[in-house]
Formats: sequence, C-alpha cells, structure tokens
Amino acid sequence: MLTTFLQRLLLMTALLAVQMLVLNHIHVMGFATPLLIVYFLLLFPLGTSRWSIMLWGFVCGLLADMATLTPGVGAGAMTLVAFVQPVLLMAMRPKEAAEDMQASFHTMGFAAYVRYCSILTFIFCFAYFLLQSFSFFHIVHLAISFGSSWLLTLVICIAVEAMRPVNSRKTEN
Amino acid sequence: MRALFDFIARQYHWMMLIVLEGLSLMLLFQFNHYQGSVWLTNANSVVGYLMEQEQRMLNYLSLTDVNAELSHRNMLLEHNIKVLTAELNRLTHDSTFTERKVASQLAGVELIPAKVVNNSVRLHDNYITINRGSVDGVQPEMGVVSGTGVVGIVYMTSDHYSIVLPLLNSKSRLSSRLRGSNYFGYLRWDGRNPLSTILDDIPHHARCKVGDVVETSGYSSVFPSGIFIGRVSRIENSEDGMGYQLHVRLGIDFANLQDVSVIATRGHGEQQELEEQAH
Repeated sequence: MLTTFLQRLLLMTALLAVQMLVLNHIHVMGFATPLLIVYFLLLFPLGTSRWSIMLWGFVCGLLADMATLTPGVGAGAMTLVAFVQPVLLMAMRPKEAAEDMQASFHTMGFAAYVRYCSILTFIFCFAYFLLQSFSFFHIVHLAISFGSSWLLTLVICIAVEAMRPVNSRKTEN
Repeated sequence: MRALFDFIARQYHWMMLIVLEGLSLMLLFQFNHYQGSVWLTNANSVVGYLMEQEQRMLNYLSLTDVNAELSHRNMLLEHNIKVLTAELNRLTHDSTFTERKVASQLAGVELIPAKVVNNSVRLHDNYITINRGSVDGVQPEMGVVSGTGVVGIVYMTSDHYSIVLPLLNSKSRLSSRLRGSNYFGYLRWDGRNPLSTILDDIPHHARCKVGDVVETSGYSSVFPSGIFIGRVSRIENSEDGMGYQLHVRLGIDFANLQDVSVIATRGHGEQQELEEQAH
C-alpha cells in the first residue's frame, strides 16, 4: 500500500518535472503543447478506488497548474479524466484480464491501448483547452490548439508507454 | 435519512466529481482574471435574465389587481359615456310636433325638471319616483309632464324625492277633453295595457272619431288646458249606455320614461281651498 503510494508519488513528481521543465516550453507552430501529465492517470490499474484516482488526478493537475499559473485548469481536466478512467478501462479490458489489470500494450494489445489512450487524452485536452480559453469566441484557434495538442500528447504518451520497461509493468501489476 | 446516506455512499464518486470540479472552477475564477471576468459577465447576464423573469412573473401575478382597477375605471367611463350621450341626445334632439305643442302650452308655466329614478308599468297601481322633492319646490298635487304628454300627478314628496301617481294607476282620474270640442270626461286606467287608457263620460252627441286628440281640459288647477295625452284608438259604448267609452292610446311610453317636468302651479292650493269651502 505504502509502496504503491510512494511509487505513484515518484511517478507523479517525475511526470510533473518533465511537464514543467520541458514540455511546457514546447509550442509547435505556436499551437501544440504536449500534456504528458495525463499519462499518470492512464496507469491506474483496475480495482483502484475511484475517490483515490480522482484525488490523485486533482492534486496532480493542481501542481501542474502552479507552474503555468493557471490554477483550476489542469485540476479540473485531470479530475474529469480520473472520473472516466476506471469506467473506460473496465469497458475496454480483455476477457481474460486480471482483476488488477494495468493498461499497457502488453495487457490490452496495441490497438486497444491506443483507443484507450486516445479517448482519455482527447477528454483531457478538450477539457484543458476549454477551461483555458473559457469561450468559443476564437473557435478556430481553440480547435487547432486542442487538435494539435491532443495528437502530440497521444503520440508522446504512446512513446512513453512503448519505452516503459516490461518489468516495471509486471511489478506494478 | 438512512436511504439518503446509502444513496450518497453509492454515488460518492459523483459527489466527489462535483466537489473537485467545483473546487477547480473556484480556483479558476478566483486566480485567473480572464476566466473570472468571463464568469462574472455571464453570471451577471444569467442573474439579470433570472431577475427579469422573476419581475415578469410578479407582474403577471399582480394582474388581478390591475384588472380590478381597470374594471372599476371602465365602469366609471361607461357611466360617463351614458351621462354624456343622454345629454347629447337631449341637446340635439329634433322635437316632434307634439313636443312643440306641449312646450307651447307650458310656456310661461314654471317647470321643475326631474329624472325618473324608479318606475313600473306591470302592476295594477304603478308609481313613479322622481329625484326632485319639497326642497326643490315640488309639492303634492302638482302635475307632471314629459315632452310627449301628461305623466301624472305628484302623490307624496320627501325632501329630495317625490312619488308620482301616473296615468297607469287605478286611482288616477284625469279630467280630459277631445281637442276641438269642449266635451270632457275622466281618464282612467283599466290595469291592462300600459300603452292605453280609457276616457269615460263622453256623450253620444259629441262627434268623435278614431285618431282624435285627447288633451287636458284645464278644469283642474293641476294641468293647464290643452296638454296632449293621447289619441282615440277605439270607440265603444259605455256600460251604462249613456255615452262613449273611448280607448286612448297614450302619447307617453311609460316603460321608457326618463325625463319629466313638474308643473309648479302657483295658487292651486288657494283654488283647492276655495273649492273645499264651497262644498
């Protein structure tokens, strides 16, 4: 229990550090910003209590907001993804999946994982950019920012997942 | 209460979502000027809209009072229209020959104009109430006429009202004559037709025909002579066979009587007194 907690804390800190120090400075064509912190929520295994995921999501989002000086944007979007993640993972799990299955290429298969990852990153980016712009006034700008950032986030999440050591998957499982 | 707790326990993740999202939005509006101002502007619009709807609802609810007030106002205006229309009719009315004749007969006689405030034609003994009384100079035994003929005689008076004994009353006896001759008789009502009365005691040798005018004889001090009463509509023999019984179609429609005048006869008390002494 404590180990899991510390592991999650460590993972969150690492992801936040990468997000704050590196990814927040990337603005491809002035629009696309990768939002890797959502990857943190993708890793919660089946059977994790929903309140715990939501609290982790909220805190992680809030800490990410501290760096961007936009309190509430990341927290709101992360909480929403944390609310959806267990339901989505349950719905997309393979038939023979373990009760505490963690989403990965290995456990779900590439295609299913990409779908799972796409949906959650889509929800996150949509909520994030909607809260950030808070209006549909510049809807084209909003759509481009959201679309490009979503694709970039998705690519990075899949890349990180691909680079994740297999033994780490096993231990977390 | 227990069911409520169970429900909350089952749906805790929804509650948590609402709380955490609420917290996020609060932070968003509190620490981000742009989002805060957008929120405030929209919130103001929403509040403004809600207040407008509330005002409309309150206005709708107060329509009952407004309606009552309008009804009252309408009633007053209707009354004004009625009064003004009557006045206009009076001023622009084209007088008939009978009216001119009656007016000429009454020239030089003091008249007290009055309004009929109560009237009946369906009873055997009808009475008319007018809005002039002793304060206005009306006294019992004074004659009452309208533009189209004789109405009756004042029966009783109070300070501001008088009761008139009209021709349509079984107690009414009016000395009348046929215009163009001096044969006279007494006009009475048989209590049947409110448009018709009976003139008795016209002798057989008096020439009369249907359409002859019946007018006041002037033998009493109540009415000056020659005031139009009606026209002969049917001639019959009287029951005792001594004369004619003439059915007189009245010039006045008592059922539609509004404006009358009281003939303020001077000295009729003196005449009455003298006649009583003689008897």
